[in-house]
Amino acid sequence: MRTRTMLLLGSAALALLAGTVRAGQYVDWNADGTATLKLGPEYDNARITVPQSMLGSAFGPGKQPFKGVTISVTVNGAGPKGGISGPLYSFRPIWEEISGGKVNIVELPFAEHYTKMMLDLRNGTGQYDAFMVGAFWYGDIVPAGYGYQIDELMKSGKYPQWSYDVMPPSLKTLHQWEGKSYGVLNDADGQVLYYRKSALENPEHRAAFKAQFGYDLPSPPATWQQLLDVSKYFNGKNWDKNDADPDSGTVLHLKVGEQGHYHFQSLSASFVINPGDKVTRTQNVYWFDPADMKPLINSPGHVKALEFLQELHKTGPAAQVGWSLGEAWDYFLRGKAVFVFSWGDVGALCQDKARSKIQGDCAAAMLPSSDEYWDFAKQSWVKLGKPRQVGNTTGGSWHGVISNYSANPEATYSFLSLMAIPPVSKLMAMYGWDGVDPGFSYQFLKEDGGTASLDEYVKAGWDPNDAKTYTRAYKDLFYAPTTLTYLRIPGTFEYWDILDKNLSAAMSGAKSAKQALDDTAAAWQGVTNRIGRDKQLADYRAAIGYKE
Amino acid sequence: MAEPARRGASLADGLASLAAVCVAFVFLFPIYWAFSQSLRNPLDTFTVAGFGIPWVNFTPTLANWIDQVGTPETLRSLTNSTIVSIGAAALALLLGTPAAYAVARFRFARWKNRDITIWFLSQRVLPPVATVVPFYLVMRALGLLDTHLALILVNATFVMPFVVVILRQTFLDLPLELEEAALVDGASHWGAFWRVALPLAAPTLAATGLIVFAFTWNEFLFAVALSSRNAITVPVHIAGAVDTRGVQFWFMGVRAMTAIVPPVLIALLAQRYIVRGLTLGAVKG
Amino acid sequence: MRWTGRIRFLFLAPAVLWVLAFTIFPLGYSLYLAFFKVEQKVEIKRVQQPVLDEQGRPVLEDGQPKMRNVVLRENVTTATFIGLDNFRRLLADPQVRDAVRVTLVFLLLAVPSELLLGFLLALLFNRQIMGRGVLRAVMILPIFATPLAVGYVFFTIFYEVGGPLAWTGIPWLSNPTWALVSVALVDIWQWTPFCFLVILAALQGVPDDLYEAARIDGASNWDLLTKVLVPLLTPTFVIVLLIRLAEALKLFDIPFAMTGGGPGTATQPYSMLAFRTGLRFFDLGYASAMAYGLLAVVMVVITVFFRRMRESYG
Repeated sequence: MRTRTMLLLGSAALALLAGTVRAGQYVDWNADGTATLKLGPEYDNARITVPQSMLGSAFGPGKQPFKGVTISVTVNGAGPKGGISGPLYSFRPIWEEISGGKVNIVELPFAEHYTKMMLDLRNGTGQYDAFMVGAFWYGDIVPAGYGYQIDELMKSGKYPQWSYDVMPPSLKTLHQWEGKSYGVLNDADGQVLYYRKSALENPEHRAAFKAQFGYDLPSPPATWQQLLDVSKYFNGKNWDKNDADPDSGTVLHLKVGEQGHYHFQSLSASFVINPGDKVTRTQNVYWFDPADMKPLINSPGHVKALEFLQELHKTGPAAQVGWSLGEAWDYFLRGKAVFVFSWGDVGALCQDKARSKIQGDCAAAMLPSSDEYWDFAKQSWVKLGKPRQVGNTTGGSWHGVISNYSANPEATYSFLSLMAIPPVSKLMAMYGWDGVDPGFSYQFLKEDGGTASLDEYVKAGWDPNDAKTYTRAYKDLFYAPTTLTYLRIPGTFEYWDILDKNLSAAMSGAKSAKQALDDTAAAWQGVTNRIGRDKQLADYRAAIGYKE
Repeated sequence: MAEPARRGASLADGLASLAAVCVAFVFLFPIYWAFSQSLRNPLDTFTVAGFGIPWVNFTPTLANWIDQVGTPETLRSLTNSTIVSIGAAALALLLGTPAAYAVARFRFARWKNRDITIWFLSQRVLPPVATVVPFYLVMRALGLLDTHLALILVNATFVMPFVVVILRQTFLDLPLELEEAALVDGASHWGAFWRVALPLAAPTLAATGLIVFAFTWNEFLFAVALSSRNAITVPVHIAGAVDTRGVQFWFMGVRAMTAIVPPVLIALLAQRYIVRGLTLGAVKG
Repeated sequence: MRWTGRIRFLFLAPAVLWVLAFTIFPLGYSLYLAFFKVEQKVEIKRVQQPVLDEQGRPVLEDGQPKMRNVVLRENVTTATFIGLDNFRRLLADPQVRDAVRVTLVFLLLAVPSELLLGFLLALLFNRQIMGRGVLRAVMILPIFATPLAVGYVFFTIFYEVGGPLAWTGIPWLSNPTWALVSVALVDIWQWTPFCFLVILAALQGVPDDLYEAARIDGASNWDLLTKVLVPLLTPTFVIVLLIRLAEALKLFDIPFAMTGGGPGTATQPYSMLAFRTGLRFFDLGYASAMAYGLLAVVMVVITVFFRRMRESYG
């Protein structure tokens, strides 16, 4: 009996061995021309099998193309199990095994990352090979020549294979500059609407709402104006039984210096952006007039949007003026608000029992849009019969950009692109802890034109209903016919800081909406003049794709 | 030690004791609160009632401590901070104490004593942002980026004023007769300093050492600019508890506690010296 | 009264030379940035060079010479003298005025409170009370608490929708005025112990005979306080005040963590504005001008102050 078992085990082992050409701790090279990447418990020990060609011709059994090479990558510090930094730790051993190289992951405090990068670049220190940047940093990196162009590396076929084709156009532009490529695919950020479906579809509330407002409670609201009504209705009532205190309508993260201004950006987009096929002086512009760099930020569309946001703020806790992401999301995840519009992290956090009480009741939808917008050409308001969809890519969309000082761009690129190949990227988007949010075609569900299946999301811990609305919301967001323009010119930090401070003053009642935005526009003129008007105009046009 | 004598002492003292306890409670509360935060699940960060007493107001968990305390960054930042703080304090005391003695005891006609003291004090007035970039360039030129030495050198420079200003007053308050007696007996000025004045000033010296240790321990700006991986200090590590998703208060609680513990331990050990030593104008006998 | 003798230079020189050596370049450089418009760029050129072995021959890999990347950098710096432009901008900038206002209000709220509270606590503790040692030990803790962490911890204490102070109904952090008060409260929490300890030590150095002599002369408690203790403690008060002022002018960590400078700019002190200008927007010349503007004003104040306090600082 025992000899038979031994023989069986022995032959099974032989069979296994015959199937693999070279078995490593993190990567198996298989005889059938595939390779299996072995991930750790943070990804549920997933095994990803890919054709060896997908890893590029430089890699293969027995090949160590970057033996002895050490590269450093900077990233927002969040630890080996935190957002954006976590995946670097997870994939480091895999890359080190197939390349022979070493990766130093340099975690920097989130608020200081940009500063340290700029110190390194501007002074020619060149201590780091790559930075996991936010898209709004491009204006300070690329025009000055500090970024390394990756087109040649992508085409060479030597390194892990991925393509910009899986990206919606709105996201693709964030990785390129004037047609040249700099960013390696990673994360996709944008704000969608999250709502408590159970509250919106509760028959008692539906009846009471109709009685009060005269129309059926939309679930989810299609226009901002509808959302305001619904928010007003729910504010102050104890409609959620997770605790005994009254709840709110909409919660916002408005704290100064902490990504609060993105709320205004996403919301005002549909009040401001005039639709069109191209970027012209009046169409698809939001920040400045591309003819003369005059700020548009205090246009009637912007002002009305800010006044609207002030109204919306009243349907949430007053304290949110000082709340950053953590506190605002915590409020929503504890069930105390009907709406929040924010990033993909919310949907993922909803599924985490340690952070959320509302798993399964955390639906997502494309952001509502305004039922009217300011037409720049006609200089008048245009009322819409049907709501239109205006998307956004607000946020960082954190991804790797190689420093032009790097002595090892090939090695660096191969590490970054390892995390960009479709099966890897798809897996990363399904796990919320890693901070990588979906935006690419294989991450959307088949019924929405993608290639992912609902089961894969459920296996990663998602409630199926939440996952369905989540992925559809992001697909709608990123593929919307009109999108908020993203600002990527030198000094974006300063422009946004001025906007942020004035927005906060408006939200806390220190300034009126018009005053706040007029002050912003005036200050922006000063910044533009100081940096150099002509240069800014040229960079702005390049960033938004405007051709005269 | 002089104590004002009072009639009806016990009632007044009793009330004073009560008041003192209340005061101590108020000052202890935020530290206790950080401790309470470190024991909470994320969902309990903002929802705990009353005084956040573990088991009474919420169910505590050790998960945050387990997660954070063993990480290489925690240990590295604590080690680095200890090395840098002790190094800077030692250097500042070494160079600053003789300087304080000089300004207290000797006459500088060309640059007046008062002006020298003010010059030292002025080093602490300039906002650090002005000098961060040049210091970065200097350290880069010396190849000292991301090293302990860089932080020790910079911090020693900027805490030296404390040593000079505080110890100057201490030396001024020592009775001149003792040193003069030593000089008459044939000692050099250095001998008078080393064998008479310094021992008498020792408690204040220790106290000042602790103060400059604390200031270096809490220094954030130069630490973040000059370090990236190897030389990160505790304040930089604390800032790392804030990530793209906001402040992780449960980790912040743990890091805040680990930030307080080493200096407080040292302080408690040397507590007697602090209390007796922080005398800046009236130690007599 | 004071000694002369060449050795005095040996006592003083190490500290002075050290500080000069380490600050002369940074101060000079930042001053230069304040008076010149400096534009700095690095021109990067990348070339491929063959890898050579010890004898200088190219190393071969698969028959081809092994190449490596070499990054050539050229620092291109243009500096134009702009004189007092940055300082003129400083005087006209509404953001600067706002930051100055915030800093001054904060100073007036926090520093006198710390001194007064420290003094009162010192008087209170200057008795035989139970557990005095332990209580004093507790009072040391806030000094060693890292300000950044303190800011975040107080954020949760001031949380308005259910935190430990929410029962007051006060909008601690969401109202511009209250936010500045909150920042001051945190600073008072952190620095009163320092004032307390210093003043207490000085108090305990007051000899008994002084009290007895005053009593014999018929002094009341109030007279004792105002005519004996306060004059005796004035040098101590001065030192504590100076130290607190110098540090309070650089207030940064607490508002940075707790409010981000907000709402709006209600809690953005001068140092934070300078920080943002220099290290986020990299407008280093203007940030230097801000720093030197502050230094100049403070030095003038200190010098004038000391002309009048000749006794304490002769």
